[in-house]
Amino acid sequence: MGMKLRKALAVASASVLGLSLAACGGGDSDGSGGGSGDVEGTKGGTLYYLQHFPFEASDPQRIYYGVQLANWRRVFYRGLLAFPMSEDAEVGTTPVPDLATDTGTSSEGGKVWKFTLKDGVKWEDGSDITCEDVQYGTSRVFANDVIIGGPNYTLSYIDVKDYPGPYKATPEQQAAFEDAVSCDGKTITFRFNKPWADFPQAIAGMMMTDPYKKSFDEGEKSQWKVLSNGPYKIEGGKWDKNKGATLVRNDQYDPATDDPEQLRLALPDKIEWQIDPSDTAGELFNDRLIKDAGNDQYAITTARVAPPQFPQITGAVEDRYESVLSPYNSYLVPNHKKITDVNVRKALAVSLNLNGYVKALGGERVGEPGETIVNPGVSGAQDNPAFSEDNDNNGDPEAAKALLAEAGVKTPYPIKLAYQKSPTTDKAMAIVKESWDAAGFKVTLEGLSDTYYDVIAQPDKDVDVMWAGWGADWPSMMTVLPPLFDSRPNVSSTTCGNDYGCYQNDEFEALIDKAANSSDIEEQVGFLQEADKVLGEQYAYIPLEVSKFNWLRGSKVTGFATTPASSAYPEIGLIGVQN
Amino acid sequence: MWAYAARRTAIGLVLLLVLSFVTFVLFFAAPVDQARYACGKQCTEEQIAVTERALGYDKPVYEQWGAFVKGIVAGRQFPADPEVRAAAPETVSDCAAPCLGYSKLNAKTVNELIGDAAPISIALALVAVVMWLIGGVSLGILAAVTKGSIVDRGIVGLTLVAYAFPSFFIGVFMLKYVAIRWELVPLPRYVSIEDGGVFTWLENLLLPGFVLALLFLAGYVRMTRAFVLESLSEDYIRTARAKGLKGRVVLFKHGLRAALTPLVTMTGLDLAGLLGGAIITESVFAYPGLGLLTVQASNAWDLPTIIGVVVLAGAFVIVANIIVDIAYAFIDPRVRLG
Repeated sequence: MGMKLRKALAVASASVLGLSLAACGGGDSDGSGGGSGDVEGTKGGTLYYLQHFPFEASDPQRIYYGVQLANWRRVFYRGLLAFPMSEDAEVGTTPVPDLATDTGTSSEGGKVWKFTLKDGVKWEDGSDITCEDVQYGTSRVFANDVIIGGPNYTLSYIDVKDYPGPYKATPEQQAAFEDAVSCDGKTITFRFNKPWADFPQAIAGMMMTDPYKKSFDEGEKSQWKVLSNGPYKIEGGKWDKNKGATLVRNDQYDPATDDPEQLRLALPDKIEWQIDPSDTAGELFNDRLIKDAGNDQYAITTARVAPPQFPQITGAVEDRYESVLSPYNSYLVPNHKKITDVNVRKALAVSLNLNGYVKALGGERVGEPGETIVNPGVSGAQDNPAFSEDNDNNGDPEAAKALLAEAGVKTPYPIKLAYQKSPTTDKAMAIVKESWDAAGFKVTLEGLSDTYYDVIAQPDKDVDVMWAGWGADWPSMMTVLPPLFDSRPNVSSTTCGNDYGCYQNDEFEALIDKAANSSDIEEQVGFLQEADKVLGEQYAYIPLEVSKFNWLRGSKVTGFATTPASSAYPEIGLIGVQN
Repeated sequence: MWAYAARRTAIGLVLLLVLSFVTFVLFFAAPVDQARYACGKQCTEEQIAVTERALGYDKPVYEQWGAFVKGIVAGRQFPADPEVRAAAPETVSDCAAPCLGYSKLNAKTVNELIGDAAPISIALALVAVVMWLIGGVSLGILAAVTKGSIVDRGIVGLTLVAYAFPSFFIGVFMLKYVAIRWELVPLPRYVSIEDGGVFTWLENLLLPGFVLALLFLAGYVRMTRAFVLESLSEDYIRTARAKGLKGRVVLFKHGLRAALTPLVTMTGLDLAGLLGGAIITESVFAYPGLGLLTVQASNAWDLPTIIGVVVLAGAFVIVANIIVDIAYAFIDPRVRLG
């Protein structure tokens, strides 16, 4: 699945998910970095990482925040595979070996995958990382009553039935799991019930198959414990949800078993990871980085620069500023139970003043108009002809009126538009209303608050069009189109799941079935591109903006960059400080 | 008398039960599927049902509430699922009576969470109380003795202006300008006495304590001013002055003693209402006390923690009221007869 933009916004830019890729650094013409950020780092010193929201867990199988997955892959939790720290979109989204000796071998049409562990890889307590640790970590995901909150794609792939996880499995159930995920010396074999072509991408980004040491496990009591196998460990071994931790070097980590240039330079000797979960923390962190005093000169932050702070990004501060495309897209979804005529949905799309909408959000530093729901950083992303052809994004009310006439509906056509309320979205949605009202619709705006996604998931909602946001979990369209538009896993009598418009289309579902059964990535991408075209022809969604992330850093931070692997957040594996 | 006390205590207990039940009902009335939220978005309906069972959310509200009440009396063990407890005893958390529940979100009992957070809120409250008492009473006396002067009007006016701004605004202003831009004080960050010593602990409490104290300061200035002025107009003060006592002695020895008595009562009542102010102050300054705990629990739909904090806060208010009622009954026999 991917993550909703809700958390990304509500948690103040903490990307809840998505290991997806965003186009990388230096997106703004004047935001190509500079200052010490361009200086090659040297080992040593203390980096201050200012984080404006709390994590939900430090247990690898429970981590789902995209920024946490990306950062902790560099500092604590090495996986079988990992994404390299390249700023190049293609290289940065191609997994490379980490704990494994290679990127794995598949057989039986993508239903079986094998990996072999490297020699000499250790936990911070000095014990070896074994195949059984990988097997055990994989099994924990199945205990979704104990290990809650993490990504659990493996549940629907691993070829085992009714396995409740290691905590309450009978010996027979455990044996069945160990047949499906088996160890032979250092080689682990995953057997799936269907092909999984993008499995390497999934496990490079997510920690569903990361090793976990059984003797260290205390079930849900392990939520805040960290047993590192990466270059750093936590002083005291426990992450403090509201305070963070001090990271020091892990003396059991051997760079010879790693590929530091590609995966983690681990430059600072110490990282002071400070959490401030207050609502104002993000803005205040950036105030501190603008001021650039004391230890803040050695600081980076998870908090994006807020639009009201943009006027302060001038002079020397601008040298420490970066604007990049994020992994998040937002879009509008027609309620297919209420707007059944495709011409009416098309009229909504063609009359939308998308340029005005983006401007109301804050302009080019906040986002750029999207031509598809698929983020540019996702493998195979391409403009959807339904939205990119003959479209200047200013809205065409006359064309929309003609479509409504063709549909034979009474005008003004009433539309109730739901969105997640904030002062900024109020302004942006007012632009949408204005452009649609001019095209023969009569729009009522419905700004909703915290339970927004729960409300729009309801099948009997009294809403015609809904705003939504999404970021891919890993750089595959498989984590965008099926989770959002496949009615089969989503729609039931009580919910439409992530398919907020309750959309159902046989042609689309046949195409994603073909994609899911592909053993070859390129073939899979082809089917998914076709599926997106079907969505466009049906106007199953209307793209809004690809959002941007705006970053500041301290003046003594070196090697600052964002990468596809870091979900467009600061790439901690590359960053150091001046000594 | 004892019958009256027992009756008030029984009513207090019933109120607590009602409070906890209403919180349960309100929580489940929200349009959020708790099990789906906990299980994650990839979960199938079957997996969500498993999670719902494990969290105990598959049971009727009254049954869940019954388990909660039983936990307060007899304690509980978590996870709630007996199968997991039997198969994996290393994962079991004991929650002794009075058990306020177990937060799956934090993997801790609610008692532990409150135990971690309460000292921070208490420290903040203590600093704030000292500040508003010293500041409020001193400025109130100064205003009273300079009645009608520019000093008097300045003090009353300025404290009212400070009172008029919401504490959220003042907190952010203090952080943004006083701490960050002007660097007049270090950025506050909660440090326990064990970690930083008394000085660092206190230094980091000054700014948030001041913001919390401002909420109450204006009231204390005005009340002190009014009480002192009233007291100074009494006959016995005139007598004291006629006897030739110095002005300072008249004010501090005779005038203030009478004026401050109602302020003590007021302070007691304000202490009970501090949690409301602490929620905002702790949220702005990110002090992990009861206020921030409450906000985080509400944002994450962490029912056990919400219930625990509500019951605890309710218990404080109810106990305080019972004590006051009983004290009144001692003082005024008409109360217990009524």
